[in-house]
Amino acid sequence: MAADPIIQLKDLQFTWPAQHAPVLDIAELAVEAGERIFIHGPSGSGKSTLLGLLGGVLVPQRGSIRVLGAELNRMRPAARDRFRSDHVGFLFQLFNLVPYLSVIENVVLPCRFSARRRARAAAEGATPRDEAVRLLAHLDIEPALLGRRVTELSVGQQQRVAAARALLGRPEIVVADEPTSALDADRQSAFLQLLLQECGAFGTTLLFVSHDRRLAAHFSREIALPAVNRVHPEQRAA
Amino acid sequence: MRRIRGLKGVAFASFCALVIVLAGTFRTEGAAGAAEKSEYRVGDRLPQKAPGSSSAFKEIPWEALMPKDWNPARDFEKLDLSSLSDSDPRATKALEELRKAMDNAPIVQSLNGSRVRIAGFMVPLDGLRGEITEFLLVPYFGACIHTPPPPANQIIHVLPIKPVKIDQGMEAVWISGMLETTRSDTGLGHAGYRMKAELVSAFKR
Amino acid sequence: MRHLIVLAARSAWNRRLTLGLTMIAIALSAALLLGVDRVRRDARESFAQSVSGTDLVVGARTSPVQLMLYAVFRIGEATSNMRWESFREIAAHPLVAWAVPLSLGDSHRGYSVVGTDGAYFEHFRYSGSQKLAFTGGKPFEQTFEAVAGAEVAHRLGYRVGNRIVLNHGTGDVSLSKHGDKPFTVVGILARTGTPVDRSVHVPLEAIEAIHLDWHGGAPIPGVSIPLEHVGKFDLKPKAITAALIGLKSRAAVFRMQRNVNEYKGEPLMGVLPGVALDQLWQVVGIAERVLLAVSAMVVAVGLAGLVAVVLAGLNERRRELAILRSVGARPRDIFLLLMMEAVGMTVLGAFLGVVLLGVLGASLAPLAAARYGLIIEPRFIASGELILLAAVVGVGVLASLLPGYRAYKLSLADGLTPRL
Repeated sequence: MAADPIIQLKDLQFTWPAQHAPVLDIAELAVEAGERIFIHGPSGSGKSTLLGLLGGVLVPQRGSIRVLGAELNRMRPAARDRFRSDHVGFLFQLFNLVPYLSVIENVVLPCRFSARRRARAAAEGATPRDEAVRLLAHLDIEPALLGRRVTELSVGQQQRVAAARALLGRPEIVVADEPTSALDADRQSAFLQLLLQECGAFGTTLLFVSHDRRLAAHFSREIALPAVNRVHPEQRAA
Repeated sequence: MRRIRGLKGVAFASFCALVIVLAGTFRTEGAAGAAEKSEYRVGDRLPQKAPGSSSAFKEIPWEALMPKDWNPARDFEKLDLSSLSDSDPRATKALEELRKAMDNAPIVQSLNGSRVRIAGFMVPLDGLRGEITEFLLVPYFGACIHTPPPPANQIIHVLPIKPVKIDQGMEAVWISGMLETTRSDTGLGHAGYRMKAELVSAFKR
Repeated sequence: MRHLIVLAARSAWNRRLTLGLTMIAIALSAALLLGVDRVRRDARESFAQSVSGTDLVVGARTSPVQLMLYAVFRIGEATSNMRWESFREIAAHPLVAWAVPLSLGDSHRGYSVVGTDGAYFEHFRYSGSQKLAFTGGKPFEQTFEAVAGAEVAHRLGYRVGNRIVLNHGTGDVSLSKHGDKPFTVVGILARTGTPVDRSVHVPLEAIEAIHLDWHGGAPIPGVSIPLEHVGKFDLKPKAITAALIGLKSRAAVFRMQRNVNEYKGEPLMGVLPGVALDQLWQVVGIAERVLLAVSAMVVAVGLAGLVAVVLAGLNERRRELAILRSVGARPRDIFLLLMMEAVGMTVLGAFLGVVLLGVLGASLAPLAAARYGLIIEPRFIASGELILLAAVVGVGVLASLLPGYRAYKLSLADGLTPRL
């Protein structure tokens, strides 16, 4: 009766080309649709690698990654890229925005690469741009800032714009890699609230990676990467 | 790593330069000709066999322009050079007679009005914008630099219907058209050949 | 694809200072390359147009190229003359239709003075059988009358009726003047685009007249023959520099040339203009090739600079490229993005170079025409130059593969989280 997990990792093993020992070795990991998951782990625990695998940018040497029923490890690179643009939105810690595009242009960027997201964005508003404006308003970005260069915005504002971009066109999954780490403490909480609110409105599955465990309280489930990852740092150094 | 990059840069720049120079050189050859290295040497004649022929024009060799019974060197041949001493006036006179005979070379009247095709070397007379509008066709390369020049019945005065787009002196070409015999009005009785060439194409070995 | 172009354009605009400088470098080098080619072609055309319908140029036995240069193009000096008697004999030859004598050596404020006779205005042709035309006045008839070329009249502001004084020698500096024997301008010629424009034409007798009381390049001290007594002397020319010959039958040119070369009176030489020009181009051709090669190297340097700039900026852009990949850009898109930037710069640079050359050509054309008789055609781009331009762009495209490929590899390695 329960629907398939939206993300399913099985016997996943990934080794960087230059190295001999794997950096990730996960027996099993499943995420249900709509879950808000907090993934934490110290730096070097393989977080970036995991994100790369989930985004279809990296391919595991062993095991399978099923996202939305599709086996990413079986797909050709072009197909993986298209899958990522259609179904996954990304949020990074810093440098989320393309410096030579304006705020609004940054937000609608995914629609240039994904017809599906463009269509879904247009379904909400009349054009992707309208939907972008709506999202930005929800995330507390005034209309006056829309045409501005992103370099003129504060870090907090930039992160919220990045969140809008990740959410535009309602991708099923949003992956956030330490998005609050660059914000000051009082802003962190506010940002998180907004993000969770929008994800809740769309039913988006949220994977939130961070080293700051204080934020874990906001999330329905917490995963410690070193616990899941059967590879230990000492082993990797070998 | 940086050293390899530097080498790559130099190799790359040379490659660019080479390509551009080749492009320019290719054009130079085709355009206003600065061909120090011509394919032909002075005195070369063209082989008379054509790679492909046009049916409308009859291909003729240069010998056809001379009457069969004409031998200007007749007197010259009669002279036994070994029996003459140095600077014998008879040798010089014989040479002069030969020259006069070449000047007064008779033409083959029956060729007047025939549509022919012949290959030879161009000596440009008039041109504009890299196109030649009038030229002489001679049987061998370097004809105008050397004495003696070709006899009158081995020169064709060509007026192409369309200006010819090659401007490199002494270029070898095929001309096709109606051959005319002209009677010159110099009072010396010299006649020659003329053609309003319909086709002028490059000669390829 | 279109969005990639927009991204590439916006990205390039963001770095417009550095990219702009390299683009200017490419523009300058392209202008140089095309300019060298254009001057080469226009020079040949200028020269070829200067003599038309002349079958043979006759002069003292020097070299064919030298004879052409000074007799027709008024460049350089005549080293020896031919006798007047020789000229008359040759002109009387049955094969000759017309003969025009030329006497060179004097100058007027930097422009050549040409001694000739009425046959010049009747028989001289240029640029494909164009006759000489007058914008004012008529050919000279009296001894001290002159006909000025279009450029001379324009630069010095001459009208019919002006009085002018000739200099001895061909220099710009007037060390020795024939001041006591002024000339009257009776005719002004229309522009021909040939050295005729830069010449002042006077009768042959006048050349004799002004040199009557001179000897060896300077006035004879104590001797001064006033203008009104000049007519008492025999003004028949003794020697001329060269003669232009037209034949009754063009096919007879070889024969006539041989007659001239073997003329028993003095060592003479007959030159077919077309053939002499070809010899000139052969000599000049080597220098042209070198110039072309140098210009090509300069273009290569410009392109290498562009590639270096784009490559250098690549490191800073790795995060930006990671963002693009996160929203769905493929490595192939990254490759295209970088390549388009470089190609775009090359194309813009080349285009700018063409414009630059046009502007430069237009502004320098009057100077070139006045000083060197070199007519530079005002045009945007000639069909022949398009090949060179295409080569520049083609090499630019090849060069752009380098940053494109590098970005591609980087993007593959970096993934979504570049480690910088």
